[in-house]
Amino acid sequence: MHGCVTGLRGRSGPPVILRDTVAAIETQQLAREFEGGIVAVDGVDLEVAEGEIYGFLGPNGAGKTTTVRMLTTLLQPTGGRANVAGFDVAQDPGAVRRKIGVALQEAALDPLMTGRELLQLQATLHGIHKKESQERGQWLLDRVGLTLAADRRVGTYSGGMRRRLDLASALIHRPEVLFLDEPTTGLDPVSRRAIWEEVRKLNAEGNTVFLTTQYLEEADQLADRVGIISGGKLVAEGTPTALKADVGKPHLELCLVEQAGKEARAEVVLAKFGRPMPARDGTLMVELEHGTSEVGPIVVALNQAGLDVESLDLVQPTLDDVFVHKTGQHLEGSQQAEAVAE
Amino acid sequence: MVLALVRRALNEIFRVPGAAIPGILAPAIFFLGLTSVFGSLTLLPGFDTHSYQSFLIPVSMLQGAGFTGAATGVNLARDIEQGWFDRLLAAPAPRPVLLAGLVLSASLRSLLPATFLLAVGFAVGVHWPGLLGLLLALFLVMGMAVVAATWGTSLAFRFKTQSAAPLMQIGMLLAVLTTTAYAPQNLLTGWLQTVAKYNPVTQVVDAARQGFVGTVTWSDTWPGLLTLVGLAALLSFFALRGMHRMTA
Amino acid sequence: MMERLATNARVVAALGRRSVIQTLRRPQLAAPLILFPTALLAIQTAGAGNAVNLPQFPPVDNFLSFMLAGAIVQAVMMTGNSGAIAFAIDIEMGFTDRLFAAPISRYAVVLGRLVATAVLGGIIAVYFIVLGLIFGASLNEGLLAALWITILVAAAALAFGSIGAAIALRTNSASVVQGIFPLVFVILFLSDAFFPANLMLDPAGWVAEYNPLSFVVNGIREPIIAGWSLDTQLKAIASVIGIGIFGLTLCRYALIGRVRRGV
Repeated sequence: MHGCVTGLRGRSGPPVILRDTVAAIETQQLAREFEGGIVAVDGVDLEVAEGEIYGFLGPNGAGKTTTVRMLTTLLQPTGGRANVAGFDVAQDPGAVRRKIGVALQEAALDPLMTGRELLQLQATLHGIHKKESQERGQWLLDRVGLTLAADRRVGTYSGGMRRRLDLASALIHRPEVLFLDEPTTGLDPVSRRAIWEEVRKLNAEGNTVFLTTQYLEEADQLADRVGIISGGKLVAEGTPTALKADVGKPHLELCLVEQAGKEARAEVVLAKFGRPMPARDGTLMVELEHGTSEVGPIVVALNQAGLDVESLDLVQPTLDDVFVHKTGQHLEGSQQAEAVAE
Repeated sequence: MVLALVRRALNEIFRVPGAAIPGILAPAIFFLGLTSVFGSLTLLPGFDTHSYQSFLIPVSMLQGAGFTGAATGVNLARDIEQGWFDRLLAAPAPRPVLLAGLVLSASLRSLLPATFLLAVGFAVGVHWPGLLGLLLALFLVMGMAVVAATWGTSLAFRFKTQSAAPLMQIGMLLAVLTTTAYAPQNLLTGWLQTVAKYNPVTQVVDAARQGFVGTVTWSDTWPGLLTLVGLAALLSFFALRGMHRMTA
Repeated sequence: MMERLATNARVVAALGRRSVIQTLRRPQLAAPLILFPTALLAIQTAGAGNAVNLPQFPPVDNFLSFMLAGAIVQAVMMTGNSGAIAFAIDIEMGFTDRLFAAPISRYAVVLGRLVATAVLGGIIAVYFIVLGLIFGASLNEGLLAALWITILVAAAALAFGSIGAAIALRTNSASVVQGIFPLVFVILFLSDAFFPANLMLDPAGWVAEYNPLSFVVNGIREPIIAGWSLDTQLKAIASVIGIGIFGLTLCRYALIGRVRRGV
């Protein structure tokens, strides 16, 4: 991924998973086989801490939605077990449903209902009495920016509005764990960022979020930890930074102002900071040994050697690189996500 | 041009047979049902046949033609909604030729349910109407399909949406049933006796019925033919006007 | 236990209310459910009206009084089919997943839909009774008959609707449910909805004698054209209960299968 040097987002590190606390979500060899021997999920072990945003990343058909459907009690596992909010999904599905909020892939909303009616119905399904549900519904509608559209039929809403209503309806009963299945698929960049902002706010308020996505940037931007699934198996898990560091170090690409002998002199300078890589079309490259903090000192050192930098580019490994490293294939939709995100 | 449109319409039957099957089966199902239910009506004095199947079969054939023609309107409405029809309008073919292509395909398609229905009817004892009676009935079926298609296409141009489908279908259903469909004129009761007397489609029903319940005569045939020609002409006028207004 | 019952009742009521509103908010789809049977009632009454002169035709004031029950049942079955299509659409677009992910009984989801069908069935019964009275039919047992018919029809609507709901749950396809529509008419033709079974041509007449739908129709028809008879009414109630048990059992297996199969 190419980025501006100053555009890096610092992160305070993942929440520590304490062995003696109850994980919000925990699976052991979770599996699902369909008729015809199709194994959609093949022995997935994962653990999501309370208050974490866990990004579940994978291409279409990898098993993301099947996993979510099992965790939200819509589908019985055929192997392994899973606990959500302390309850077993197979043994105690009713208890699980009381603790979770769900916004599924299709934003399945009745086009003939108004936004307010839908929230009211959702509240009734969770046993919330009328007065409280009306107040909470109004608060949520204001929060997701649907106050003015509340009494219009959902069929008149845009895609972004539907997603926001979907999110609101998943929150009506104050769930402990929120499941978002591809919440921004099909949305324009502005709507996508609005949803991201909302997810961050929810997490800041203490909600655990299990988010599935096929978009690299979404996982990168939002998730504290990412699990990458391919062919029904979890192939990698960790913080985005750690996963990317595993497959390679960032490198710097530089173009220098035209001077005689610039390349030779530059290589001497760069060798002090990391492993020089073969130049390409006049662009010098160096793998950064100690990370992005070296960019400033490199520019200073080049200047001191009488070399002026015309342009530079910091190239980070991406989650797609992680995926390629683990599976030999690119993530689908990653190019699409890049184009949309730009 | 006309043949190309006809070919496209016929293609739909072969490529999506699942959609065509109800249209072919439904008239036969209703025929069998209604003859089983109302078959004893022939015991009433004034009923000039003892075979209710023979009495009813032309009605079912015309109903089938009505639905086939209405389906033409529904398909056209779909094409308009999806923008395909704009391509036809942008082509240099004259408007009457476009309309002719649509209605001709309906009249040909109407032979499918009619043939199936006849096969079922003969199997349950419908009288053989003679070659002339049979050809006349089939000709009138095709004519009815033309009328129904022009009705459906007029509505399609007027409303430009598939939601008008019930109007297309019910219109044809009522046109055929408010005739001597269930019983001869003298045995109809109440308002239907009056309506059937003045409903032009009654002439078509009676003309198509001739061979099945008696003999074919010209005096009982020409009113039915004239009705179909007149209705087709009138509805074609509305359909063409509707087509012109699409690009006005 | 009582708390849970109360919660489920609230949920059923909320979902039922939603389904009724859904129907009423699409008048272009709802209207034919009433208008088509009305038109057919008018035409068939006038077209076959002289049938009352046939020997062995039950003693009635007029053919309309006889036909009313058939029109009611036809409209109710069409409405049930329409409700099942709407349910299948809910399933196709994922709306039922939203309901299944909530802490409510799965049966409440199905019952909510069926209660709506029952309510609409009751409305249809009242409509046709009023229509019949306006056009010359008479209710032999008066207001009590009207009340009883409304209740019986609502129960029958729920029972028939349960079969449609089971098909929707099993197939997840609105077009499959829609494809069953002609079957509705086949079942009606094989009953004495439109004509007395003893005057129908065999084998349809023979089937109609034993068709549970005939018992239901006769239960509706009897208070209109004659006096009460315990035998007829008990048969009607038993048929409704039997059809309902059959349909709800199918729903149960369909629901269990959904979670197992994932669809």
